[in-house]
Amino acid sequence: MGEGSSYFGDEEIDLDEEMEDLKNKETSQMELVWLRFKRNKLALFGMGVLILLVITAIFAPFLAPHDPLETNVERAREPPSRDYLLGTDQVGRDVLSRLIYGARVALLIGLLVVAVSGGIGITLGLLAGTIGGWVDEVIMRTVDAFLAFPILIFGMALATALGFGLYPVIIAVGLILWTRFARVVRGDVLAIKQETYIESAKAIGESKINIILRYFLPNVLPSIVVLATIQMPFALLSSAALNFLGIGVQPPQPSWGEMINSGARFMQFDPTMVTISGMTIVITVLAFNFVGDGLRDALDPIRRGGS
Amino acid sequence: MLEKYIKSKRKRFIIKRTIRTIPVLLIATLIAFSLMRVGGVDPARRILGMEASEEMIREFNVEHGLHHPPHIQYINWMTNLFRGDLGTSLRWGDPIAELIAPRIPITFQLMGLALFISIGLGISVGVIGALHSNTWIDYLTSIQALFWRSAPSFWVGTIFLLIFAFELGWFPIGGYRNIYYLILPATVLGIRLQAIIARLTRSSMLSVLNKEYIKSAQTKGLKKRVVIIKHALRNALIPVVTVIAMRLPFLFGGAMITEQIFNIPGMGRFIYQATISRDFVAVQSTILLITLIAVIANLGADIAYTYIDPRIELGSAEEV
Repeated sequence: MGEGSSYFGDEEIDLDEEMEDLKNKETSQMELVWLRFKRNKLALFGMGVLILLVITAIFAPFLAPHDPLETNVERAREPPSRDYLLGTDQVGRDVLSRLIYGARVALLIGLLVVAVSGGIGITLGLLAGTIGGWVDEVIMRTVDAFLAFPILIFGMALATALGFGLYPVIIAVGLILWTRFARVVRGDVLAIKQETYIESAKAIGESKINIILRYFLPNVLPSIVVLATIQMPFALLSSAALNFLGIGVQPPQPSWGEMINSGARFMQFDPTMVTISGMTIVITVLAFNFVGDGLRDALDPIRRGGS
Repeated sequence: MLEKYIKSKRKRFIIKRTIRTIPVLLIATLIAFSLMRVGGVDPARRILGMEASEEMIREFNVEHGLHHPPHIQYINWMTNLFRGDLGTSLRWGDPIAELIAPRIPITFQLMGLALFISIGLGISVGVIGALHSNTWIDYLTSIQALFWRSAPSFWVGTIFLLIFAFELGWFPIGGYRNIYYLILPATVLGIRLQAIIARLTRSSMLSVLNKEYIKSAQTKGLKKRVVIIKHALRNALIPVVTVIAMRLPFLFGGAMITEQIFNIPGMGRFIYQATISRDFVAVQSTILLITLIAVIANLGADIAYTYIDPRIELGSAEEV
C-alpha cells in the first residue's frame, strides 16, 4: 500500500499531461483519482488504518481473545496482563475484546448515519437546487434553523424520545448531519444548471426526473463521496458522545463512548481503559479526516473539469 | 458617492438578513416542539411513576395542558412565549424561567471563559504557525490542532479531570462555587475551538501574507512586525469571527457535556436532567432559548462583517 508514493512525485508533469486523455474514459477517472490520492501519504496512512478497522470489525469473533460480554467479577478492574492484554473493566470483561467489538458498533453507526443524513440531505439539496422558488426557500431556512440548533442537545433529546439504543442514536445523529449534504448538493446543482448540456436536455424534452437522475446526480457524486468521508468523524464523535452520556448503545453491548464512561469511574486506580478507548476514537477520527482530505484533493480537478 | 452607495447597500443587506431570521426561528420552534414528542413518550407516566392511577395521570395532563391535541399545545406554547412565559416544568413543577435563571450566568461564564481561552490560544498558535511556516514549530502546532480536532470532548474532559484535578490537584474535581471552578472545564470546552481557530488563522494569515499589498508595505520600509499585525491579522480575523458565531450552538452542546463531567449546575446539566425525565416542556423552551441566542449571534456576526469588510455579501460595491 505504502509503496510508490514518493516515486510519483517525480512524474507530476507526465501525470498532468495524461489527465486529458484519462478524463474521457469512465474507468480511468477512478485510476486518476487513485493516482492523485496515492501521492498523499497521510491519506494513505488513514486508509491503511481504516482497512485495518474494517477487517477488525468483520472478523471480530476470530480476533477477540475473549467473549466481550462475559463477566468475571473476581477479576474486575485488572491492569493489563497476559490473560487480559488491556486489562478488564468494572465487571471483569476483557477490554481488548470490547474494543474490537466496539469497532463494529462504531462503523455500523458511522455508515448508517452517513446513509441517513446523506439520503435526506441529497434529496432535499436536489429538490432545492432544481425546483428553486419557495421550495428552495423553505428547505434552506430549515437548514439555517438546524445550523443554529445546539445539535448535540438536539440529538440527545431525540434519541431519548425514541428510546435509548443503537437505532435511536443513528436516527438522531443522522438528522443532525443532513444539512451539509443539502447545502453542498444544492450549490453544485446551481452551478451545473448553467451548463449547456442541461439546456439541450431540456430542449430535447427529457423529463425533470430524468434530468435529475441522469445529469445532476452523477455530477454531484464526487462532492457526495468527499462529504460522506468528511462527515464520518462527526458521526463517530456525536454518537460516541451520546453513548458516553448513556443515551445510546446500552450496556452490556460494547461501545467506545460507553467504555470511556465506565473507565472514568475507576481511572484513578487504573487509567488504561479510559486512555485506550479514547485513543481508539482519536485515531479513527484522524484516519477519516486524512482520507477525506486526500479524497477531496484527488477529486478536485475532476470537479473543476466538470463545471 | 461610494460611501453613500455602500451605506444604502449595507442597509438593504441588514434588513434582508434580519427578515430572514423570522422563518428560521419559526422553523426552530416547530423542531423544538416536535423533538421530544416524536417517540410518543408519556411524560406523565414517566414522572408520576408506574404506580400512578389513571386518574392521577389525567389530572397531571390537564394541569399541564397535555390533554389538548398537539397543534393546540403548540399554539398555547407560542402564545405564552410571546408573553415571556417559558412554561412550567413537568418534572419540577416550577416555572422554567425560574429554574434556568440562576443557571444562565454559570453557563455563560463557562462559555465566555472557553471563548477567551480558545481565541487567545488559537490566534497566537495560528500566528506563530504562519510566521514559521514549514518549520518544525509549524508542524508541531499543526499536529496539536489536528489532535484536539479529533479528540472527543468528553474524553478530553475525563483525562484532564484525572491529570489536573485528581493527580496534580491543581483544580477542584467538580462543582461550582466561583469562576476558579470553571477554569479546567472551560479549557476542555475551548480546546477544540482553539484548534479550529489556530488552523483558520494560520491559513488566512498565510494567504494574506502572500498578497501584494503586504509585500509592498514591506518594501516601503515598515517594520515586519507592524505589517503583520496591522494588515495580515486584521484580515485574517474576519473568518475567525464567523466561525465563532457559527460554532456557538456546538459550544452549547459541549457545555452540556462538560457540565455533566464536572458537575456544574448550568443550563447544560439542566437540559440533560430535563431530557432524561422526559420533561419536554422544559427541553423545548430551553433549546429554543439557546437557538435564539445562536441565531442572534449569527445575525450579529453577519452584520459586523459588513463593517469590517464591505466587499463581503454586499457584492461588487468596490467596483463602482
